[in-house]
Amino acid sequence: MKKKQLDLLVALQDLDMMIDEISEVKRLGFSADREEELLKARGELVSKIKKPLLYSYEKLKKRYKRAIVPVKEDNTCLGCFIRLPTSLSSIGRTDESVIYCEGCGRILYWLT
Amino acid sequence: MTNEELVNYFDVQLFLPDIQAKTKDELFEEIIDQFVKVKYFKNKNIILEMLHQRERLGSTGIGKKIAIPHGRSTSASDILIAFGKSKEGIDYDAIDGKPVHLIFMIIAPPQDENNMYLPILGKMVEILNKTKNRNKLLQAETFDDFIEIISKG
Repeated sequence: MKKKQLDLLVALQDLDMMIDEISEVKRLGFSADREEELLKARGELVSKIKKPLLYSYEKLKKRYKRAIVPVKEDNTCLGCFIRLPTSLSSIGRTDESVIYCEGCGRILYWLT
Repeated sequence: MTNEELVNYFDVQLFLPDIQAKTKDELFEEIIDQFVKVKYFKNKNIILEMLHQRERLGSTGIGKKIAIPHGRSTSASDILIAFGKSKEGIDYDAIDGKPVHLIFMIIAPPQDENNMYLPILGKMVEILNKTKNRNKLLQAETFDDFIEIISKG
C-alpha cells in the first residue's frame, strides 16, 4: 500500500531529529557511527515526497526547527498551543491531506 | 536529573516483566503493541520505523545484557519509557554480541518541555552502568520492586 504523504513527512522529521542529536547521543556512550546510513535513508524518503510539500517542510524546519507538530486530544497545537477549530480536527483525523496550523503555520499531526 | 525525577516517567502499564520476543524485530513489536494498547500511539508503524532507523545508525544494545532503544517521534506527545525483561534473552546484535535481557525503550516528542529526553537517557546509562543495579533489575518481579531499584540506583 502506498504511504500517505503525511506519514512520509513524519518519518522524515523523526529522521531529521535523530540526525540532529547524533553527537549528544554519542557523548552519552551510545553506538551511533553510521550517520551515512541515516543520510541514505533520508534520501530515499525525500524521493517519495511531493516537491511542494518537501519545500514547505524544509522552509518550516528552517524557521521553527520542527516543521510538524503533534495535536493533542483536546485539539491543542503543541507548537503554539492555540486551540484548533473542531471542524479542522475532524478533517485532520480522517483526511489524508496535509493541514497547517492557523496560529503558527506548522504542519499538524493528530495523535488520536 | 535525579533518580526521584526519573521515577516519575515510568508507568505500571509499560512495565513488561515477561517479554516473549526472541528477536529485535519481535521485541519492538511487542513493546509498541503495549503502547498502542494503552493508547499512547495510534500509528505503531511510525514508531517502529523510527526505532529501526535508529538501529541503522548503531545498535542500542549497549552490552551487559542491556538495550536502550530510543528516539524522538512526532507521534509522541510526552516522554514515555517502557521497561521489559526477557528471561531467555533476545538476539539483539548488541555491541558485545551477547543476548539482551533488560530493555528500556524511551520515546520522546519533538519538543519536550524542559528538554528532559537527553538527561533521561544519560541517567539511565548511569544507573545501568552499575553491576548491582543490573543484577537487581534482573531479579525484579513487580513494578514496586523495579521503582525501588531505580529510585535508589
